[in-house]
This record gives sequence, C-alpha cells and structure tokens, in this order.
Amino acid sequence: MSAIESASLRLYWPAQRQRNRGAGGLLIVVAAFLALYAYLFPGLLSVGGVAKFAQSWLPLAMVSMAQAILMLAGGVSLAIGAMVSLGAVIAATTMAGPLGVAGGAALVMIAGLGVGAACGVIVVRLGLPAIVVTLAASFIVGGAALLILPRPGGTIPAWLSDLLAGDKPVAAWLVIAVVVFWKLYLATPLGLSLYAAGENPDAAYRAGVPVDAARILAYAVSGLLATCAGLFVAAKTGSGDPVIGEAFTLNSIAAAVLGGVGFLGGKGAMRGALAGSLLLSVMINVMYFLGFPPVAHYIAQGLIIIGAVALPEFSARRRAL
Amino acid sequence: MPAPTLAARGVSKSFFGNAVLREVSIALQPGRIHALLGENGAGKSTLINILSGALLPDAGAVEIDGRVFRGLNPRDAHRAGIAVVQQELGLTTQLSIAENIGIGALPRRYGLIDYRGLARRARAAMDLVGLNEDLATPVGDLPLGRRQMVEIARALFREPRVLILDEPTSSLSAHEVETLTALLDRLRAKGTAILYISHRLNEVMRLCQHVTVLKDGVVTADRPIEGVEAADLVRLMVGRDTGHLFPAWTPSADRDPILQVSGLSSGVLRDIDMSIRRGEVLGIGGLVGQGQEDLLLSLYGALPASARTAEFNRQRNLPASVRRANALGLAYVPADRKREGLHLIHAIGWNLMLPSLARAFSLSLRDRSKERVLATALADRFAIKGDLTRQVRALSGGNQQKVALAKWTPAEPQVWLLNDPTRGVDVETKREIYALLRRLASEGKAIVLSSSDTPELVHLCDRVAVMREGRIVATIEREALSEGAIVAAAMGADPLRTAA
Amino acid sequence: MNPGEAVRFPKVRPRALFASRPVLTFLIVVAVWIGASFVKPGFGAFGHLRYLVELGAVVGLAAIGQTFVVIAGGIDLSVGAIITVSAVGAPLVALAFDESGAFAALITLAAATVIGVLNGLGVAFLRAHPMIMTLAMATFLQGLLILLAGGSAISAQSPLLEWLGSARPGGVPAGVLVWAIASVLSLLALHATPFGARVFALGANSLAATLSGVNVPATTVAVYAISGLTAGMTGLLLLGMNGQGYVGIGDPYLLSSIAAVVLGGTSILGGSGTYAGSIPGAVLLVTITGLITVVNASPGWRSILFGSLILALLLISGREARRR
Repeated sequence: MSAIESASLRLYWPAQRQRNRGAGGLLIVVAAFLALYAYLFPGLLSVGGVAKFAQSWLPLAMVSMAQAILMLAGGVSLAIGAMVSLGAVIAATTMAGPLGVAGGAALVMIAGLGVGAACGVIVVRLGLPAIVVTLAASFIVGGAALLILPRPGGTIPAWLSDLLAGDKPVAAWLVIAVVVFWKLYLATPLGLSLYAAGENPDAAYRAGVPVDAARILAYAVSGLLATCAGLFVAAKTGSGDPVIGEAFTLNSIAAAVLGGVGFLGGKGAMRGALAGSLLLSVMINVMYFLGFPPVAHYIAQGLIIIGAVALPEFSARRRAL
Repeated sequence: MPAPTLAARGVSKSFFGNAVLREVSIALQPGRIHALLGENGAGKSTLINILSGALLPDAGAVEIDGRVFRGLNPRDAHRAGIAVVQQELGLTTQLSIAENIGIGALPRRYGLIDYRGLARRARAAMDLVGLNEDLATPVGDLPLGRRQMVEIARALFREPRVLILDEPTSSLSAHEVETLTALLDRLRAKGTAILYISHRLNEVMRLCQHVTVLKDGVVTADRPIEGVEAADLVRLMVGRDTGHLFPAWTPSADRDPILQVSGLSSGVLRDIDMSIRRGEVLGIGGLVGQGQEDLLLSLYGALPASARTAEFNRQRNLPASVRRANALGLAYVPADRKREGLHLIHAIGWNLMLPSLARAFSLSLRDRSKERVLATALADRFAIKGDLTRQVRALSGGNQQKVALAKWTPAEPQVWLLNDPTRGVDVETKREIYALLRRLASEGKAIVLSSSDTPELVHLCDRVAVMREGRIVATIEREALSEGAIVAAAMGADPLRTAA
Repeated sequence: MNPGEAVRFPKVRPRALFASRPVLTFLIVVAVWIGASFVKPGFGAFGHLRYLVELGAVVGLAAIGQTFVVIAGGIDLSVGAIITVSAVGAPLVALAFDESGAFAALITLAAATVIGVLNGLGVAFLRAHPMIMTLAMATFLQGLLILLAGGSAISAQSPLLEWLGSARPGGVPAGVLVWAIASVLSLLALHATPFGARVFALGANSLAATLSGVNVPATTVAVYAISGLTAGMTGLLLLGMNGQGYVGIGDPYLLSSIAAVVLGGTSILGGSGTYAGSIPGAVLLVTITGLITVVNASPGWRSILFGSLILALLLISGREARRR
C-alpha cells in the first residue's frame, strides 16, 4: 500500500523529466557539435581539455542564464554586457587590496544583486518598458565601470586566477554549482512563481502569486549571475577591463533564443538556455580551431540566430492568425 | 442570521467612464450555494473580481466575517479563505498539474517547496474533482475540460471557506459536470459558502438555494430560489420578454447562390458543403468550438483552406487573403471584438475608417473632411453616441460592437460573415443588431450568422447549418427550425427526423 | 462644418495642446536652452544652438525609421550597424564616372534600404521577434564591416558629401535642411496617408489589422525598409560631417534613436505616437549630451549622466499607462 502510494506521489523528479521533452533535438545538435570538436581536437577529452573548454563556456553559460531568467519573466536585459564589465572591474580593483578575495567577491555579488534589483523595481513597479530601462542602465552601469577602472588594469591575485582558470577543471565544477544554485532557486516558492508570473501575470496575481516580488527577484538574480560572470572573466585574464563585457549582451540573447526560450515570458526552460550557450560556445571554438577569421564568427552567429528562429516556423506552419 | 462569510456592500465600479456596477450588495452565507445570474456584460465578472480582491471598488466595501476590508488584494483574500475558479483559464502550461494546483500557496520546508507535501495535498484535491492524471503531467498536455478541473482543484487545494465559480461548467463534459455538482453539494453540507455563476438555468435551479440577478450593473433580484420559475429569472436578467427582441421575419432570399463551396477542409474543418443566396441569413449553429469560427475564417481568406469547388460572385477559388476577400465583397465581424475586431486605443472615428484606409492607395493623401462626413453619417446611422475622437475602449460593449459592424458598411459587402455578433451585448443593442441583419438581408445582402445563442438562430435565419466536430451535420430549413431541432442536431440526435 | 459634425469632432482646445507630448518635449528643450544660457554664456549663442540642431539632425534622421518601426509595434536594433555600414561602405563605391558622388550615395541608400527590407522579411515571414531579427542583422553586419573596412578608418571625398557636411544654404546647415525635408515627408506619410494609418493599426493590434484588411506583411516590410533608408541617410550625413567612416561610428545612435522616439511620447509598445515628438526628442538628446560635455566630466561620468538623465526624463513623462 505504502509503496503504491509513494509511487503515485512522486513529483519532483518526474516533473523535471517532463521538462526535458522537446529539448531532444537541441541536445542531439549539441552532442553532434561536441563530437565534431572532440574529433578535431582530441585533447578535449583530457582533464586539461575539459578545464580549458569549461573556462571558455562558463561566462557565456552564466550570462545566458541571466538573460533567460528575465525572458522567462517576460522581460529582457540589454545591460548584461555592462553588468559583466562592472563585475570584472570591481573584482580587479578590490581583490588585491585590503578587502581581499572574499571581500571583493562579496562586493561583486552585492553590486549585481543591487543593480539588478534596482532595474527590476523600475521596470516592475514604475511600469517602464524593460528594453528602454535596461538600455539606459547599460549606460549607467557601463559608466560606473569606467569610473572604477578607466582603462584596462587592476589585478586579480595570481592564486585565484590559477585556481579558477588553471589546469584543474574548477570551471567545470562551477558550471555544476551554478546549475545547482538555479535548481535551488526554482525549488523556492518565489522562484517557481517566475513561470506563472511570466506566462500569465494577471491570472497569477489572481491566484495569489506574488508576481511583482517574483519578477524583481528575477532581475536581482540576473544581475548577480552577470557580475559573477564578470568576476570569472577578470580572473581568467588576470586583470579588469571596463568594456570587456560588451559582446555578452547579444550572445546571451542568442544563446537563450537558440535554447528555445521565448520572448513573451513563461516559455522555455533554463536547460534550453544552457544548451544554447553550450552550442554557441562549441561553435565558436570549432570555428577558431578550423582557422576561420573572426569575421566569420559574426556572420555565422547572425545566420545561426535567424536560422534558430526560422526553423520552427518552417517545420510547423501554424494557423495564419 | 450569522454574519455572512463574504459580502459586498453597495459597491460601484466603472471603467473608462462606463458604470459597470452600481451600488451592488451581495452576501454569501456558509452552507449555501448562491447563484449569480445576469447577461454577458451585466457586471458579474467585475463583481467577482471585487469580491476576490483582484479589483478595488470605486465606492462601497467588501466585508469578510463582518469585518470591512479596504484595499483587499488577492493574497489577503486567499488568506481569508476565498478561492475563485476563473472563467478564463490562468494555468501555467509548462508547470506540472501539482505545481499549478499549489502555486500561490505552496507548502514549504526550510524555505524550499515541500514537494512531498505538495504532492500529497494536490493528489487529495485532484481526487475530489476526479482527476486521475499523473501529478507531474505538464498542464499544457491536458485538453480544455481537464484544465478546467485543474483550475477547480487549485481552488479546493486552499481548503476555502468561500468558493467562487465563474461558469465552471462551460467546457466540461456531462460526466464532469456531475462530479462537480456532487462535490459542491458535499462542500455545502460541510459549511462552505459557494457563489455559483452559470448560464445553464437548469443547473442553477437544481443546485442553488439563493439567487442574485444582475442587470446592467444593478441588482434586480436577491431572494431564495424556492418558488421561482426559470422564466421569471430570465425576465429579471433580460428585463422584458425575449419574444419582442426579434424583428418579424419576411422572406427575401434569391434563388441563385452568391457563394458556394464544396469539400472545404482546413484545420478542424472536414469536407464542408455550403451555399448562400442573396437576401438570405444562413445560421451556423452547434455547441461551442465545433469549427464554426474556422469556417468563417476560411471563407474570409484568413485561414489557409482547400476546397474541391468554390464559387463566389462568379469567381472561382477561395480568397487567398483577407484583402482578396474584401475585394470580392466579403466582410468579417469577429466574436472577440476587443482582440480581433477593434483597435481599442484608437479613436472611434479612426476605427470606423480603417477598412476604407486599408484598401486605399498607400501614399494618396487622406481627405479628412470627407472622412469626418462619412464617420458622422455612420455614427448617426448606427446610433453611436457622442464624440468620435474618444478611444473605442471608452464605449460600452454594445456600442463597441456597433462600431465593429459599422466600419464595414462603407465597403458595401455582399456577404457578411458574423461570428457571434451579440456576445456580451446589452439587450437594446441586440435588438438593433437583429433589425440591422434583417434589413441587410432585405437589401439583398447575404449573411452568415454563427451564433451560440439558439433563439437568435431560430428567429433570424432562413436556414441553419449545424456543425459538430468540424462537419456540417445537418441543415435545417426555415419550416423545420426550432431550438429543439438545432440542439438535437448539435448533440448528435438524428436531425433528419426532426426536419422531416 | 455642420452642427452634427461639430459634436462628433469637437475642436481641440488650446489647453489640451499643452498636455500633448510633442509640445511638452519641445517646451522642455526651450527651458533647458534658456536655463543653460544663463548658466553658461556661450550656450545661447545662435552659432551654438545651430550646431546643436545640426547634431540633432543626425539623431533625428535615425529616429525617423525608428519611429515608424516602434509605432508599428517593433523595434530596430540594427540602426547603429546600418549607419556604420553606410558610412564605411559609401567611400568604397567610388566610381570613375560619378564625379558628384550622387551615384555612390544612391547605391549606399539602396543597400541600406535592402538591409531594412531583409529585417522586415524576417519579422513578417520568419516571424522572428523584431529584437532578435534586428540584433542578428546587426551581428551579421558587424562581420561584414570588418570584411569591408578591415578595421581602419576610410575617408571619403566627394562634392555631395562635402556639401552635406559643411554647406550652409541660406545659413541653414545642409544636414538640417535634409532633416527638415525628411521630417515633413515622414510626418505626411504617418498622419496624412492610408499607409500611415495602417502602421498605427498594425502596432495597436496586428490581429485586428489583418482582419480589417490591412496588408500586415507588406506594411511590416515597409517600416523596416524606411528604417534602413533613414539609417543610410544618417550614415551619409555622418560621413559628410566627419570626413571619414570607421567601425563603430554608428553605435551611439542606436540608443539615441530609441530614446528620441520614447522621449517624444511614442509608446514603445506600439500603436500610438508621432514623429512630431521625436524631433524635439532628438534635439533634447543632443542638448543633454552637449551639456554633459560642457561639465567637462570623464567618459565614465558622461555615460552615467546620459543614462540617468534619460531614465529620469522617462520617469517624469514617459510612463506607460498599463494597457490591459
């Protein structure tokens, strides 16, 4: 009796499995690209190879998640790149100083949470459109990064750079840590409310879901992920650069879109965005490896994004309305 | 008498200057099923939203257990034990059934969702409504009726003291309705206060003990249901006998068809044969969602469709686009005028001119004074009152519908495709729309009238085609037309016998 | 006008005019100008104000297309890239027989328009979200640019570009003249033609527009084409004023074009607004930028001030009424 009961009451893991459906096609494509990369570059399959690859993937994975959270909540951020820069310069200017690594890391996190939450409050509470607010925020945050560190410089303690971006696959563990962090977030009532608040805010509000709080928290978490990505980028390069994050705004949107996260809220899942960032990252690596000029990256990336959006349209022609 | 569990005292509410509720009072007592009746647009949904904290009243107050709440919000309402089953589904398709049932009131442990507790309690709520699907099934996988049951389970999950149900049975099967009514009876016996909104009078008469009737935002009755006849309730909702609503029917149909299709298929539509003549009103009947809308949209070129043969005004082929359909003399008036028929944020006059502007040469200069003359004439003819520079959303539902109809008249369509044109429209406007339809027919226009309102079809149409599961299952001629015949055909009874 | 019509279309009262966003934005510009000239003597000089309007022409031209796109319910994030492509590409189209440079300019404008058309096709037929489509286009163009320019600045000399950059027929800078003509044409197109009405219909409710007979795909392609064209014009004007084109020359004008549109009272959600607001919006924007330069702040502070001022102006006047 109790066995039957417990079987019918299993919920968490079956619900997780259900969310995997539809991601199959994407996962096959990602696997194919990974296989191609491993074939071209057998070194990938060593500890060092995994370490190097995880280091190139981790920042993109984090910003993609930062963007996907907002898209799930029905928003978008054009300030992701500036937030990455902010994280990088804060890390590079504080960690070698009296605050130390722990203090610097704490500052990076506080800055991300604070700026993110501020954007969230303006968008959610004051009813300004997310595009415009985050575009303005990108100037403010980018300016702040320039103030903190006018030109590339600063230092990250060498041991931290070695730890995060050395020969050991610490970055790979960090990817797993970020995923666990996300799972914990979604396992909180406010985190899960994100889906309801994104798909149908009115109905969610009526059902007693704290829609505003869920969305503001999403902005804060998004900011946190972006500045932490900046910290990692700074550690990887050993110093700070006030404009290093710029490319991440577009890449984060690209990865989320590749992963099937929709623009109107509540559509898609984080595993999709992660897979999208992995795909993008592998493609960039493969193109480097094959000796494509940097120009081709841009062109290929633009075409890939359009292709990713257009494919479902062709494969399933919906009603004309 | 004990203090009511939930009550509204003299609440008023208006939107964009239109009074939707005027000093409405209602009191829900424990252990009683209270019916709320009224036509579409009478203010029922607004009243529910006020009772559940989703809207704040302009005047008046909401009381819970005799305590006055100002600025009640949904979370407070939930805490006070008020649960609502909305008419429009508000589920999150990506989340599982259990997560949907619990969201907004998730049990937690150490700050995280207590999935084990959620599963247990969600299962209990699902058992109450007879849902035996797996807890982890995403709601997006469920058909409409099952989603409605999830919505009800979500309300029960909160173990409410007050349960408000807004037309819960509209998309349920007969079996599901039975489960629900038995459940409501049990809850009532346990002392829950229930507010039940439905258009199905027999359900109300069987289930409820007390009734409040709203008409145009005012309470016209508030009394025990015992000793009331169904016909009395209708009169209270409508305000007069329905018999006088319809204009006298006189035949005006031509002999030859203006539009004829055979073997039309598209989406859910299967092999439709139909034809319509000048001066004829052809009704499309059937239960809700049997492909009526797809049929109109296919004829209008808005849905890709294929047909074995199609002939319209001596033109072969179905129109390939809306613009082509317009050029051929077709006009379509959608059922959902707010989303599909009108541009709410734009001026009334602008909306009236849009179909003409859509046809005009792109870069010609608009003649404002001519547009004004035309818009004024249209507004006069359709009795749309007042300043035409106001936004359309400032109009009442009935007046909005008149704009949605009026905007097509300058194009002088030969065939009007009307999708439930009287949905959510007040009685006076209904009368005007009915008169308009017969007038258009007498002028030699052809009208295809899809309607969920069976009396409408009986009184206005020359013929009624009844649809079921994407097919036309019966075509009933004028002589054999009756509500019984249409309903019988819609439900799958043998229509030919009734027709003969 | 007969009495019935007078009820149907009451005259606009002068009071209401002052509450309209274009007028309001214009008044803010005037107030800022007056205030600034008291604080800083040289600011109010005719020459300086003319210079500001000349700078405003660049933003204003880019904002024409953005206004059309935003009113139609979209957004064009490739404006900056198209501007750069035209500014870098135009010098490359130097042809022997084309002494005035007019032919090169025409080819550049045609290319910019084609880019816009591609954006429109993607949005209308692939149903890509406008933001994705135009961002992808911007990325694509960025690659193309590096191919074209190889990273270095390209200078251009042609009589036409020189005229655009420095001529002052009747004391009016040529750029401002071009802007004025383009403004009049776009205001006419937006408010006095059926096409303009369709743009508003599309942005307010594309489904209802389709069912009312509006050719939604064609209208969509047209607004993005206009955006491409005006971005191309902006690029040429910038090239004329700078004398050379380089990668990144158009970047600042993406945010500026969007900000000018929104400051002018056009709803970012689409369906309502006017280019008449974007005109003072553009001038307001360059005025702010100019003032920030005047305070002699570091690039960081300038960027912060710019972003904050836009945000503040939006908070004061640009709050969207929640449309539900």
